Amino acid sequence: MHADYLAKRFAVFLLIVWLAATLNFFLPRLSGQDPVRVKLLQQAQLGGYVQTGIEAMVKEYEQRFGLDKPLWSQYVTYLKDVARLDFNYSIANYPRRVNEIIAEAIPWTVALLGTTTLLSFSIGTFLGALLAWPRAPRWMRYLMPPLWALHAIPFFLFGLILMYLLAFQLNVLPMFGGYSAGAFPGLTLEFVVDVITHSILPAMSIVLVATGGWALAMRGMMVTTQGEDYVTFAEAKGLKSLTIFLRYCVRNAILPQTTALALALGQILSGAVLVEVIFGYPGVGTLLFLAIRENDHFLIQGIVFTVVVALGLATLILDVLYPWLDPRITYRRK
Amino acid sequence: MSERHKAKRVSRREFIKAGTLAAGAAALSPTLVAAQAPRPKAVPRNRTLILTWIGSREGRWVDYELWNPYSLGSNHQNGPGIFYEPLAYYSAFGDKEYLWLAESYKYSPDFKDLTIKTRTGIKWSDGVPFSAEDVAYTLNSLRDLGPKVRWGVDVQQFMQEARATDPNTVVIKFKLPSPRFFYFMTYKYDIGVYIVPKHIFQGQDWTTFKHFDVAKGWPVTTSPWKVVFSSPEQKVIDRRDEWWAAQAGLAPMPKVERNIWLPNAGEQQSAQGLITNQIDYGMSMQPATFPTMFRGNPKITTHSGQKPPYGYMDWWPISLYVNNERPPFNDKDIRWAVSYFIDRQQVVDVGYVGASLQSPLPLPEYPALRPYIDSVKDLLAKHNTLEFNPKKGEELLTRKGWKKDSTGFWVDAQGNRIKLDIIGFGGSGPAIGPVIVEQLRRNGVDASISLPPDFDDRFQKGQYTGSIYGHGGSVNDPYHTLRLYQSVSVAVPGGHLVNFARWKNEAYNKIVDDVYVTDMTNKAKLMELWRKAMEIWIPELPDIPLVHNIHRIPMSTTYWTNWPTEQNPYINGAFWHLTYAIVLWNLQPTQ
Repeated sequence: MHADYLAKRFAVFLLIVWLAATLNFFLPRLSGQDPVRVKLLQQAQLGGYVQTGIEAMVKEYEQRFGLDKPLWSQYVTYLKDVARLDFNYSIANYPRRVNEIIAEAIPWTVALLGTTTLLSFSIGTFLGALLAWPRAPRWMRYLMPPLWALHAIPFFLFGLILMYLLAFQLNVLPMFGGYSAGAFPGLTLEFVVDVITHSILPAMSIVLVATGGWALAMRGMMVTTQGEDYVTFAEAKGLKSLTIFLRYCVRNAILPQTTALALALGQILSGAVLVEVIFGYPGVGTLLFLAIRENDHFLIQGIVFTVVVALGLATLILDVLYPWLDPRITYRRK
Repeated sequence: MSERHKAKRVSRREFIKAGTLAAGAAALSPTLVAAQAPRPKAVPRNRTLILTWIGSREGRWVDYELWNPYSLGSNHQNGPGIFYEPLAYYSAFGDKEYLWLAESYKYSPDFKDLTIKTRTGIKWSDGVPFSAEDVAYTLNSLRDLGPKVRWGVDVQQFMQEARATDPNTVVIKFKLPSPRFFYFMTYKYDIGVYIVPKHIFQGQDWTTFKHFDVAKGWPVTTSPWKVVFSSPEQKVIDRRDEWWAAQAGLAPMPKVERNIWLPNAGEQQSAQGLITNQIDYGMSMQPATFPTMFRGNPKITTHSGQKPPYGYMDWWPISLYVNNERPPFNDKDIRWAVSYFIDRQQVVDVGYVGASLQSPLPLPEYPALRPYIDSVKDLLAKHNTLEFNPKKGEELLTRKGWKKDSTGFWVDAQGNRIKLDIIGFGGSGPAIGPVIVEQLRRNGVDASISLPPDFDDRFQKGQYTGSIYGHGGSVNDPYHTLRLYQSVSVAVPGGHLVNFARWKNEAYNKIVDDVYVTDMTNKAKLMELWRKAMEIWIPELPDIPLVHNIHRIPMSTTYWTNWPTEQNPYINGAFWHLTYAIVLWNLQPTQ
């Protein structure tokens, strides 16, 4: 791989990040809403009362957040801040800083969505491969219809059903939250089990729904791969069925799945918004939902930028790793 | 490939191993992050009160570090409210003032001075004695900070200076007569001045100071509570061993040993949590949810028991606002016509499944306000603000030259319809908005409903035609509701005016100014002025009264009893209000 290719690819990455950062700056402002005013009015009217001096408070805090400056000036300041990975204060949660708020949410989302994405990918890919394999057990055919049906259900809806059945009716799993009320964090087996138990319902609602998608895609690619000459040749050579399945079919069919996996992993930071909201799971999805609802421009910018960088990096890394995954691909000059 | 390269190359097996380890670490990352916090002592479930609250924070407490209620991102409704004890509490249900940090107070005859005597023997949780200096410091700081913090402008516009003349006396000098200043500082609903410890807040920037450090015992408080743990997932507040009010015999030591605040995950989840006894106290819910909860857990109750309206009358009666500056709603006859087209009982039956009450005036029917409401019954009989009478509405419109077109909508001479685009927000808009719109359309008014995200901004700026909203006004004297409609005030120069309805009436403005300078205890004078104001307000109908706002708060008696109810109405049951401390010291364990 040439250094100039890497440099070019990195430049594209930077360009994407800058474009996304720019959109990220202007889009929330298109709503025409003043986040400080909205925040102060919401706070003042939470109890139905309008306190004195809202206008004066709006001016005071607009100045503090730099929102009283011309848009171009705000944009320049924003780009400088972004270059230092500093997203300023959260407007809705002042004086808390955006970076610390996002940092608190990321582990929950990475844990939930990282695990569920990898699990659904592994199970879905394996099932999909088997479903296309003529020598797979017959009972496996009955797996596909329910998987497809589940795939058509939105995560959050399935989550509600699971919650009703498993948490409410059967009471075998906790209903919401990252861990039990009154439990205190610590590196103890009890707490680890508590956290895992709380993640089972949201995880199940994602894994069971997403697995069907991975399986469907893998099955399609396996069917194509099985028709390839090298598979026919391997069969003619009398290779073991398992060898043909794993080394000739799965290995070749899995490449597009890997691309999709990298992109899916890049997207996990955006969180499964509705699933997190339904289960009261304290991840990035819930945070983004709150930030949008409260018009917290700085927090929205911080989250979206983090997601964009994660996605851009995932694509960049994938580009760099691809030749290693598939020897047929090379970036060498001919 | 060279040997050196081969040696460095990572095999697929190693790659998978490393990936699996990384995934495992990622899966456990919440526990690793959370493990940094200290672990408080264990408290049994039957001494723990668990509540769930929205506070604009579904699923997480983003503000878990903010225990200084004066910082912009903080909100007393999310827990800090119980840590800053007030000079006094007021219970609108009992029409009772509980002097708290203050022992007594006295105004000068011209209401330009207020002398407050504070109690002796009160200590902050770090052992420093509470004194009049703390009160004076709080008020002077608010005056100096002005628009930087909540209540700053309210204090700035009235107060000249607060001075501690001895450890238990504060003398407040006002710029203008301020007969309601002590009441303003008193905790009731969401209003009241939080008194802060001078030795902690002095030298801090109030707008950025978080006042949170469990190791240091922050927030420092005079209350019987301490924060033992606070994170995005839960706020855990434990009872302290000592409390000056219990020692002074003012209140019993709370039996609640631990109060856990969970961020709300949604109404369904809260209901399920209450049914399964995972939660004891929930946020206000839709009426249709209650029968299901009662079936699932008979131990759940509400202020009105297990019968409608499943709650109590909040201080926030709801009206259909019409913008009095926009034709044709600048004409009182059109406002009355719209009022006659609304069947409020149907609004209650359909919008709230029968679990609400009609409201003839924009103030709640609390004990202290009932005499005022009763005093205008004759005016209400003549101008019935609750009357559903489409014929009367039609007569009014016909008299004004309006006619119905072929599609059944009222049009003026130019063919313009009475167009009423109503905006609302999550509180009451979705429940009753569609019902009202349908009623108005059936009676020829071209109405519609929407819930814009910038509702508050548009409503406050008068950028609306119609709106469904309440009144944060009076609970014990009529001034605070009357002032909601003042367009100009001479008595409070430069004072903030609410006037959402954009209604203007000079005679009314003058009466409200007279009410302002009247002593709150001079009921006869207040009654006379109130009646004069209503003689203008009722026939003018600046906004169209609809229903009372009901707080439908579920409370579980599985672990706790002596909740505030109809039979025992010591306070309103909203734990997000500043009077929640009173509920806490009244609750009794069942086990």
